[in-house]
Amino acid sequence: MNPIAQEMQNIAKELLTSGEVTAVIGWEKGTFWYQSTPVMITSAEEADKLIWDEFCQPNLSKYLLDYRLNEGKVAIFVKGCDARAFNRLLQDNQIERQKAYLIGIPCPGMKDHKQAALVEESAKDSVPLAKVCQSCRYPNPVVYDRLIGSEVTPRATEPDFSDVMALEAMTPDERYAFWQEQHTKCIRCYACRNACPACNCRNCIFSDSKSGWISKDVNTSENQFYAITRATHVAGRCVECGQCEMVCPSNIPIMLMNKKYIKDINDLFGKYDAGIDIDTPTPLGHYKLDDPEEFM
Amino acid sequence: MKKVGVFVCHCGSNIAHSVDCAKVAETLKDFPNVAFSTDYKYMCSEPGQELIKKAIKEQGLDRVVVCSCSPRMHENTFRNCVAQAGLNPYMFEMANIREQCSWVHPDDMEKATEKAIDLAKMAVSKVCYDEPLEKSYSPVTKRALVVGGGIAGIQTAIDIANNGFVVDIVERTPSIGGKMSQIDKTFPTLDCSACILTPKMVEASSHPNINLITFAEVEKVEGYVGNFDVTIRKKARSVDMSKCTGCGTCWSKCPTKVPSEFELGMSMRKAIYTPFPQAIPNKPVIDREHCLKFTKGICGVCSKVCPAGAIDYTIEDELVTERYGAIVMATGYQLFDASVYGEYGYGRYPDVISGLQFERLINASGPTMGHLLRPSDGKEPKNVVFIKCVGSRDENKGKEYCSRTCCMYTAKQATLVRDKIKDSKVYVFYMDVRTPGKGYEEFYNRTTEKYEANYIRGRVSKITQEGDKLLVHGEDTLLGRPVKVEADMVVLATAMVSNPDAAHLAQLVGFSYDKDGFYTESHPKLAPVETHTAGVFLAGACQGPKDIPDTVAQAGAAAVKVTALLSKDKLETEPSVSVVDQKNCAGCGHCVNICPYRAISLETIQERVNGKTIERKVAHVNSSLCRGCGACTVTCRSSSISLKHFTNKQILAEVDALCLQ
Amino acid sequence: MSSVNENFEPKILVFACNWCTYAGADLAGLSRLQYPPNVRILRVPCSGRVNPQFVLRAFQRGIDGVLVCGCHPGDCHYTSGNYYTRRRYLLMKRMLEFMGTDPERFQTRWISGSEGPKFQEVITEATGIIKAIGPNRKMRDDLTIQAAFAQRDAEEEEGEAK
Repeated sequence: MNPIAQEMQNIAKELLTSGEVTAVIGWEKGTFWYQSTPVMITSAEEADKLIWDEFCQPNLSKYLLDYRLNEGKVAIFVKGCDARAFNRLLQDNQIERQKAYLIGIPCPGMKDHKQAALVEESAKDSVPLAKVCQSCRYPNPVVYDRLIGSEVTPRATEPDFSDVMALEAMTPDERYAFWQEQHTKCIRCYACRNACPACNCRNCIFSDSKSGWISKDVNTSENQFYAITRATHVAGRCVECGQCEMVCPSNIPIMLMNKKYIKDINDLFGKYDAGIDIDTPTPLGHYKLDDPEEFM
Repeated sequence: MKKVGVFVCHCGSNIAHSVDCAKVAETLKDFPNVAFSTDYKYMCSEPGQELIKKAIKEQGLDRVVVCSCSPRMHENTFRNCVAQAGLNPYMFEMANIREQCSWVHPDDMEKATEKAIDLAKMAVSKVCYDEPLEKSYSPVTKRALVVGGGIAGIQTAIDIANNGFVVDIVERTPSIGGKMSQIDKTFPTLDCSACILTPKMVEASSHPNINLITFAEVEKVEGYVGNFDVTIRKKARSVDMSKCTGCGTCWSKCPTKVPSEFELGMSMRKAIYTPFPQAIPNKPVIDREHCLKFTKGICGVCSKVCPAGAIDYTIEDELVTERYGAIVMATGYQLFDASVYGEYGYGRYPDVISGLQFERLINASGPTMGHLLRPSDGKEPKNVVFIKCVGSRDENKGKEYCSRTCCMYTAKQATLVRDKIKDSKVYVFYMDVRTPGKGYEEFYNRTTEKYEANYIRGRVSKITQEGDKLLVHGEDTLLGRPVKVEADMVVLATAMVSNPDAAHLAQLVGFSYDKDGFYTESHPKLAPVETHTAGVFLAGACQGPKDIPDTVAQAGAAAVKVTALLSKDKLETEPSVSVVDQKNCAGCGHCVNICPYRAISLETIQERVNGKTIERKVAHVNSSLCRGCGACTVTCRSSSISLKHFTNKQILAEVDALCLQ
Repeated sequence: MSSVNENFEPKILVFACNWCTYAGADLAGLSRLQYPPNVRILRVPCSGRVNPQFVLRAFQRGIDGVLVCGCHPGDCHYTSGNYYTRRRYLLMKRMLEFMGTDPERFQTRWISGSEGPKFQEVITEATGIIKAIGPNRKMRDDLTIQAAFAQRDAEEEEGEAK
C-alpha cells in the first residue's frame, strides 16, 4: 500500500475513533482497475477501504451536500480541485466550514479513466493524465485542516486556453457545425450537472419541465439550450475540476465552454480563479463602473 | 381557459391610417384564450371605456388587452377602466401600436398591420399569465431624524418642524452650528455669519417640534421607509443636562487647558467646556481625554464649584432606539489637509494658514478679537497671498473635483483684508475664477476693482521663509513669466472633502456614496435630494461641495420631501415586486448582493425533513423596499425568485407568441 | 449577399427597458421617425431583468435577431441594473458567437429616452444587416417549435377541459 493511502487510513481511524468526526468521505477501489469511486465510512473498521491512486479523480466536496443534515462533523479528503470546490460551496452558503474536517492531499494529477478503459491494466503507465489535470494550476489544496504529504509543483502557471482559441479561430459556421455534432450526442442525462460543485440548486430548472425553460424532448436545440445555460450558470464560479467532462457518457467537451467563459472573464474583468478566495465577489456578482464598454 | 378581451384603438386616424385595425381585431379572435375582440375609434374616450366595461360584464372577460398608444400614455387610464368593471387592474396589458407601430411605419399598411397583430398576440400571451396584484401598505411613523446639526441640518429640521412634524437632530459635537458657526462673514453680501446663524440655532433649540440630541452619534439603523429603527449613542457628557444652568462657573475654574477645536488650535479651551460662547445647548461637556478627574483621578474642582450640582463623573454612554419615518443626512464636510502640499509649508510655517483659520482670525469673537494678526509674531500682515485650489482640481495630490466655494470665499477674504488693513496688498493665485451664483460675479469684480486685489493666474510652486517674510514663488501664466511675492501671511483655499467616516455612516444607514465619499443622490437632475434608499434624503455638503445658499435651498427641498412622506398615513408599495419561492430557494445569497435597494436578506426558516425539524437560510424580499427592477431574477439560477407582473413565464410567453406563427 | 434574401423579412426582437429605450422608441414615434417594420419590442422594467435564457429561447424559436437595450451606464433607473447587463452580455455575446451564432444576430445597445433618432438608426442598421445575412437557421429546431405548438395546444385543451 502506498504511504499516502496508509496515512489516509490512519487519520480516518483516528478521527472516527476519537469521535471528532462521524463520517469520512474518501475513495475506494471500484469494479474496474481504472475506477476509484467515492466512499463514505462511519466506523474505524471500514478505514481499510480507503485508497489513493491515479484514478481518484472524483471531486468529493460535492458529497458534503448529502450530509448537510448530519449532526456531527464530516471529514473529507481534498485534492487541489476538491478544495476549490469546497470553497465554491462555502461561497454559495451551501455548507458550514466548521462542519467539515478537510484533509488535504497535494495531487500529482489523475489519469484519464476513459482512455484507461480502452487498454489493459498492464498498459496503465501509458495512460495519459486527464485533460484538466495536464494544465492544472492548483494541485495543492487551497484550504485544509491537515495536510498529507508535501506540496507539489503546479504543472502550469498560466491557464491553457489553446483549445478555446483553436475554436475561436474557426468561422461561425464551422463552430456551429462542431457544436451541433457535440450536442446531437447529448442524451441530457444531467451527469455533468450532478457532478459539478457549482451546480448546487435545490431544484434545477432543468429537472422541472413546469419551470417553462425547457421541454423534456431530447433534441439538439434543447440540448444546446441546456448546454449554454449550464455553462452560463457556472460562469465565474467554475473551479475547473473537470468533473462535468469526465462523467459525460457522450464525451462532449464540456470544459471547453467553461473555459471560454473563464478566458473571457479574465480578459474583460480581470483575472479571476473561482474557489480560491471566498471573500472576493464572483465576476457576475458585482460590477465595476469602468468595465469594458462595447455597447454604445 | 382564460377569457381575454382585445380592444383595438384607431386613435382617430393616428393608428388607423397605417394599421388595419379591423383586421387586427378579427385576427386576434382566433388566437388562443381570446374570447372577445373588437376595434373602436377612440378607446380612451368615455364611450371607448364604456365599451370595454360593457364587454367585460357581458362577455365575462377575466383579462383585457388594449392595443393603442404607449402604456406610458394611458396604462393608468385603462387600469382604472378595467378596475371600474370589477377586474383587478393588473389583469391588463397594452400593445403599443401607435408610437411603436403606426407612427413609425406610416407608408406600409401591410407590414404595420402584421406587426400590430404580433404585438397584440404578445400582449395576449402575457396577460394570460397576469395575476391579480394588490397594492400593499405600510404605516408611517410621523417623526423625522436629521443627522448633523450644521446649517443644513438646522434648516431641514426647522422646515420639517414648521410643517408640523416632530424632528430630532443628532449632532456629533457638543453644540449645533457646524462649520457656519466658525465662519466670519458670508459672501456675497458680507452678512455676519453668526448674526444669521445664531437665530436659527435658537429657533431650532426652542421649537416645540425639534429635539436636539447633541454629543451623540447614530450607531445602528434598521427597518425601511416609514419605519426606521435608529439606535443613537448619547455620549457621556459628565454633566447632568437637567440640572446644569450653563452659568459657566465650572469652565472658568477648570485648571486644564486644551487647544480649542473650534478655534482650530489657535487658542485654548478648558477640559470642561462649551465649544464656543453661543453654543446650543449652552451646557458644557467634560473632555474625558484631558480632564484630570478621568486621567489622574484628582481635581474635581468643577464638581465642587457647580452651584447646581450638575457634574456627574459616573454618567455613561447611553444607547436609545427611536423609530423614524424618514432620515435626512446633513453631515457636512471637512477641509482638505493642506500639509499634503509640502511645498506650501502648511504646518511648518506658522503664517501659512487655511481659509477657515483665517475666518477665526478675522472674527470679532475669535482668538485675536477680530484683529488680523500673524500667528507667528502677532504683527499685522501687510501683504497677504491667497492660493486657490489647494486640494481641488488636482487628481495627483488632492481631489479631481472643484470645491465650488473657494473662489468666492477667497474673494471675500481678500476684500476683508483690504477693508480692515487699509495699507495692505492682497495677491490671489488662481487657476480659474468661477463665480456661478447670484451676485457672485459682481462681488468678484468689486474685489479686483474697488478692493484692488491682484489676481495672478498660475500655480504656486513653493513657499520659502526669508527672515520674518514668506516668499511665494509662482508663475504668472498670462504673462508667461515667473513671479515672486513677498508675503506676511499666506492663506490656502483648501478643498471641501467628505468626512473621514462618511462611507461608514452611509453603509450603516444603507445608501450609496461616490469615490470621494460624498453621498450619491438618486438622480443628478431629477432627484437631487433623494438617495436610492427610500426615506433617506440628503441636505448640504455631505452630497458634494456647496455654499450656504445652495445648502439652505437643498435643506428646504429635503424638508419638503420628508414632509410629503410623513403627511401620508400609510405608504403604498409597488405591487410589481420580487417574491421568493422559499421551498425552492437554496439560500446561496447571490440575489442579496445584487439588489440595489437592500430589499433582499437571508432569513432562517424551519423545515421538516425525514421527521426532523431543520433550519436553513433562504432569501426573503422586503416588499416595502423592492422597486421591481428584476435584477435578482436573473442572478437566481434556479428561478426561485420571480418578479410579479414580469415573470419568466410571461416573458417567455411573449417570446413564443412572437416566434411561433 | 445572394438575391434569395431580397424578399426575406426578418423578425427581430428588442428587449427594451421601460425607462430609457422604451421611452426612446416612443420618442421615435412621436417624432415620426421611420424605421423598418421588422422589430417587435418587448417591454421589461430594466435591462437587468433580461435573462440570457430569454435570448436563447428566442433563437431556439427561430428569431432572426435579438437586441437587448437599456439605459446608458450611469443612468439606470434602478442604479445598477445595466452594469450587470453589461457584464452578462459582454460574456453572453461572446458565448453565442463561440457556439457558432452569427455575431450580427445579437446585440446589446444603450439607448436613452431622448435618443429617438438613435433608436431609429440602431433598428435600421440591424434590420439591414440581418436582412443581408438571411434567415436564422442556427439553434433553431423545427422539432422544438412543433413540440411547443403541440404543448400549447395541449395546455389549451387541458384548460378547456377544466
